[in-house]
Amino acid sequence: MTNVASHFHSIKLVVGTLCILLLCAGCSVRRATLNDVLTPEQVSFIRVGQTTIRELADHIGAPDEVTESDFGVVALYYWSDTKSAGLDLGAIGRLFLPYSPTMRLNKIGITPEQLQVVFDPQWTVRAYGFSRKSTDEPIIWFWPF
Amino acid sequence: MLFFKPLAGIVIVLTLALLQGCVVTRGTVGEPIQEDAVSAIKKGKTTMAEVVSSIGAPDRIVRGNDREIFHYYYYDGKSPAMMLILLNFIRMDVKSDNLYVFFNRDGIAEEVVYGKRTDRTRFKLWPFGD
Repeated sequence: MTNVASHFHSIKLVVGTLCILLLCAGCSVRRATLNDVLTPEQVSFIRVGQTTIRELADHIGAPDEVTESDFGVVALYYWSDTKSAGLDLGAIGRLFLPYSPTMRLNKIGITPEQLQVVFDPQWTVRAYGFSRKSTDEPIIWFWPF
Repeated sequence: MLFFKPLAGIVIVLTLALLQGCVVTRGTVGEPIQEDAVSAIKKGKTTMAEVVSSIGAPDRIVRGNDREIFHYYYYDGKSPAMMLILLNFIRMDVKSDNLYVFFNRDGIAEEVVYGKRTDRTRFKLWPFGD
């Protein structure tokens, strides 16, 4: 009886491992990040008409781009967190068949974000704001429809 | 001695088995900005020509507030990946360093803004979490 019970445990372990492998089969998870995220709390020190570009750089680093607009010089800070997940439904077939069909579902969420700071001719902040941002998407989200 | 040979073989096979499917990629754009050269720029003294001779020609020249602004940048990206038969994890982390030198109308440096992020770029494989 003890022998049968120990075999049953081993079989359960093998079946469980196989189930996990089959659930993960064909999954691919990709993530690419550019620069550090800037939050409104991190820029709460900015005082319009007072904070200079020097003070801004001391707190949050140098901008990624400086450009001129009709409203004055604009400093741009970029960052992004791109998430991509895919599920290849044909992957399981690769284990058993000489030919495996490709049945792939993929989804990519590219979310470039920006902080824009406009300066007056004395290099003090005239205005600033964040780009619009939707809610965070989950990392594993391959349903494309 | 004979005992060690199979053990070494097992270790090699296990190491290879663990490393199979591993991909490590590194990519850079531009040249790293030399911090010594940045700190050598003296506001109100250093000329445009001296900046070019110590750091090199800028990657971009921007005009703002009727001033010339030299922009130097450097990007560093690290991307580890694990490509297994059934499961793939790929992650990429890219960060940039930026240096801006603001010149007055006489071509003298009046402000220097430098930010370094590339020292925080990591080979991080796990794609979940922050």
